[in-house]
Amino acid sequence: MADTEAAAKTAAAAGAQTHAPPRGGVRLRGVTKTYGSGETALRALDGVDLDIEPGELVVVLGPSGSGKTTLLNVIGGIEPADTGEISVAGTELTGRPPKDLVAFRRERVGFVFQFFNLVPTLTARENIEAMMELTGRGDRSGAPGLLGAVGLSDRMDHFPAQLSGGQQQRVSLARALATDPDLLLADEPTGALDVATGTSVLALLQETNRQGRGVLMVTHNASVAALAHLVVTMRDGRVETVRRNAAPADADTVSW
Amino acid sequence: MLTKTRRDLRRRLPQFAAVAMTVMVGVLLFVASYDAYRNLSDSYERTYSRLHFADLSATGGDPAKVAAAVEEAPGVADVTTRTQADLPMRIGGDKLVGRVVGLPGEGRPEVNRVEVTEGTGLTDGTGIAEGDSRDPADGSGVLIERHAADTFGLSPGDTMQVFDGSGWQPVTVRGVVTSAEYLWPARSRQEVLGDPHSFAVVFATGATARQLAGPDGGGQTLVRLADGAGDGTAAEVTAKLREAGAVDVVRRADQPSHSVLIEDLKGFEQLALGFPVLFLSAAAIAAYVLITRLVLAERKVIATFLAAGAPRGAVVRHYLGHGALAGGAGAVLGVALGTVATSAVTRVYTDQLHIPDTVVGHRPAVALTGLLFGLLVGLAGGLAPALAASRAAPAEAMRGDVGALPSPGRWSRALARARRLPVTVRMALRELTRSRRRTLATMTGTVLALVLVLASVGMITSMTALVDTQFGQVQRQDATVTADPHARDLEQRLRAVPEVAEVERVTEVPATVTAAGASYATSLSGFRTDTRMHGFRTEDGGSRTLPDDGVLAGQALTDRLDVAVGDSLTVHTHGGEKREVRLAGLVDEPLGTALYGSRGTVREMTGLDGNTYQLRLEGAADTEDREAVRSAVTGLEGVVAYTDEQALRGQLDAFLGLFWVFAGVMLVLGGALALTVIYVTMTVNVAERGAELATLRAAGVPLRRIAGMLAMENLTATLLAVPLGLALGALTAYESLRAFDTDMFTLDLSLGWPVLTAATLAVLAASLLSQIPAVRMVRRLDVARVVRERAG
Repeated sequence: MADTEAAAKTAAAAGAQTHAPPRGGVRLRGVTKTYGSGETALRALDGVDLDIEPGELVVVLGPSGSGKTTLLNVIGGIEPADTGEISVAGTELTGRPPKDLVAFRRERVGFVFQFFNLVPTLTARENIEAMMELTGRGDRSGAPGLLGAVGLSDRMDHFPAQLSGGQQQRVSLARALATDPDLLLADEPTGALDVATGTSVLALLQETNRQGRGVLMVTHNASVAALAHLVVTMRDGRVETVRRNAAPADADTVSW
Repeated sequence: MLTKTRRDLRRRLPQFAAVAMTVMVGVLLFVASYDAYRNLSDSYERTYSRLHFADLSATGGDPAKVAAAVEEAPGVADVTTRTQADLPMRIGGDKLVGRVVGLPGEGRPEVNRVEVTEGTGLTDGTGIAEGDSRDPADGSGVLIERHAADTFGLSPGDTMQVFDGSGWQPVTVRGVVTSAEYLWPARSRQEVLGDPHSFAVVFATGATARQLAGPDGGGQTLVRLADGAGDGTAAEVTAKLREAGAVDVVRRADQPSHSVLIEDLKGFEQLALGFPVLFLSAAAIAAYVLITRLVLAERKVIATFLAAGAPRGAVVRHYLGHGALAGGAGAVLGVALGTVATSAVTRVYTDQLHIPDTVVGHRPAVALTGLLFGLLVGLAGGLAPALAASRAAPAEAMRGDVGALPSPGRWSRALARARRLPVTVRMALRELTRSRRRTLATMTGTVLALVLVLASVGMITSMTALVDTQFGQVQRQDATVTADPHARDLEQRLRAVPEVAEVERVTEVPATVTAAGASYATSLSGFRTDTRMHGFRTEDGGSRTLPDDGVLAGQALTDRLDVAVGDSLTVHTHGGEKREVRLAGLVDEPLGTALYGSRGTVREMTGLDGNTYQLRLEGAADTEDREAVRSAVTGLEGVVAYTDEQALRGQLDAFLGLFWVFAGVMLVLGGALALTVIYVTMTVNVAERGAELATLRAAGVPLRRIAGMLAMENLTATLLAVPLGLALGALTAYESLRAFDTDMFTLDLSLGWPVLTAATLAVLAASLLSQIPAVRMVRRLDVARVVRERAG
């Protein structure tokens, strides 16, 4: 617990020093996405319109099957939408070929997943360096700084098997930031963590956002909504509500 | 559960199909080559039986006396005596030393009969065609052996000439025959590979043969043993033959033609057993990797079944069933295709060798063994993972601990300190220990492929080296001229022939060496002590000169006669006395096991001196020049035979050219074998690492970078296996060659760097090719779905 608090404080301190202009705005118009065909067709997104301002922290809520992960995937360029217009961080995604989407992901967005998906044969530092090396973005010498920002300076040369779940998720976050994305997309980032660890990860995400980077977080945990500038609720592939928080709470005040 | 098995196989069809195909190739090779091997053996035996092929052939002594000594001996079925002599012949424009063989019993001897395939027989009339007006009692003329008839284009009615010591005698070819003694046309064990234009065998009635051979014609006693007579009987009869005066007794196993065919069969036997083992091993490894992956993926389901009380035996049987089905399917296909291939291989082979009988049999036991091999491969591959599945603790498996990350080992920690290496390189190196079974499987596939390639190619490169050594270092002469002993000034006239650079008189005579009760028929050659026509190689590859006293012998003689350097040998030459001579040293020669002495030594032993001339031509003499020399030399008076020694080299080179096709096929098969194993391990690799690869894809890492990363990992495992594969491949090739090491051939393993490099490149290419489906899998990864799954 002390470890996670320290991490959040370190990250906050790091963020406080480097405030940048807001980035990572999103604009969706009439976006649809259907899986399968015929009787088994499933309309995951059904005419979604959404505007996210640059530098906003957005939480997308909704029950299972409501389309929130599909929304994250089409914004992240992992999956193409069937119809509609999508613009992310100033890049128009509509009708782009897969190769362009790969470049877009490399240059504009970063991902954090529920199960971390670290390379088990690489140390924390190497996981970040590998991402830099493979994407050709970032400087390997920046890896220790990123790990320091997530409070893992003393765990840089540890392998995933030697790290706790929370520590692994923090490495995962540092890895996502390694390419300096405009928008960070997080899919259930606290889903595999206990409350205390989850809170520390949320603090790091919030700090990342305070540095001007857009953050879009998909979760089924309604308590997390308190952190967000914008809370989007989805149901049956549609945006049911969009609520703006006048005063987002600090992550360390959130509990579930 | 059968439905599940069926669907499992369908879901992983390409991988299971790869296993089944490898089993199929292994079983096909086994069935086709083993059945063909047995068929060839049976074909030879049928021909031998029909033509009453001799079990023992004795030379020397008074044939009538020798024959009488064994006629009534227990275990003896038939005995025949005959005349045999090597005489100069003129066939068309060629002059050569051929062989005249007498056929007693009015052309139909009790032992070593011939089969007339064209024209007529000799005096018995049995072979005279309807409408032929020839008197059946007319025994003139000869029957020519099929290989010579083909080489010289002779047909019944053609004429040739035989030198009977006094002059050239014209003889008419009455027919073309096949002989069990010359299914492979070898003059002797020293000359199993010869220029076909320098040897011909003709058969004549006993009277004609004696007339042509003159008083020096060699008498032979041929013995056929009764069916079921064993080695003991053969030894007893051999002893009786020797006691009665026979100088040399050759068992069927040592008869030149039969020996060569047996060497050939050995090659088939190796093919029949060695290659299938490689393919079936590869299939077992691939099945093991594949089923292990299946079990890991289904661990929770297995745990659920076990928790519900399913017996562990049922789980084992279920996963064994996957292996058995893949192996069984491959085996059934392999047996079916192997059965078809058996007939084709047998017929092609007997046609090529002109074996008169072709026995095509399909042995149920071989087919059954092939099926069992296939099943066993599947079961062996599936056993370990099936047992592991049945031992899963239900609670642990259901908790999903399969996703627990492995602790880093020493290797991983050590690499973490290698900060100068790019991370992707460190990643590739760590992958080696991440899944040891996968790495081991890749390495084993590589090793098996290299063994397959090197064992096959090593045979050919070693044969090439043999030819280079024999014709570059040992036999340095370009041609050998046999002369009429009365010819005058022949040496000077030979020197005057354009393109002839050097001429040396050499003594060459057939000889039988005896020591410690054993005998060995060979040749004795006498050279000038400073000869430039023959190189005498020592075992360490050096050279030595002829001794002033005693003889040198091929190394194999020490085994054949159980003698050592310094021992005394008894040498018996036709027309000469038995002489004792000291074995002064040994020589290492690729072809044959001959005796060599100085001309003086050989003169003392045989009374002969310089009965042949050896020639060296100008360095750049090409085929056209050589033919011109042949023509000019054979036209000289007193020349009775001309052998172009380098013609054999040309023939062997052409023959080896065909073998390179075989080597190419083996390279492809070796590559396919490596491809199968690496393909399966690669696809399993991608399946096991789906989440991390999908994460990289989600982060925008280009596919080519991921492909490069996987290639580096894969090539690292392949490269690590290369030294072991090369070493084991060379060892296997060496052991294969040793099987052919006899007094007729001394095959030293020769694998040059080009071969080793090509073999290495072939497996690396296979390794890279196996990337293609794996990279396709990565491209098709459902990134959105996979990144949400727990790894494992």
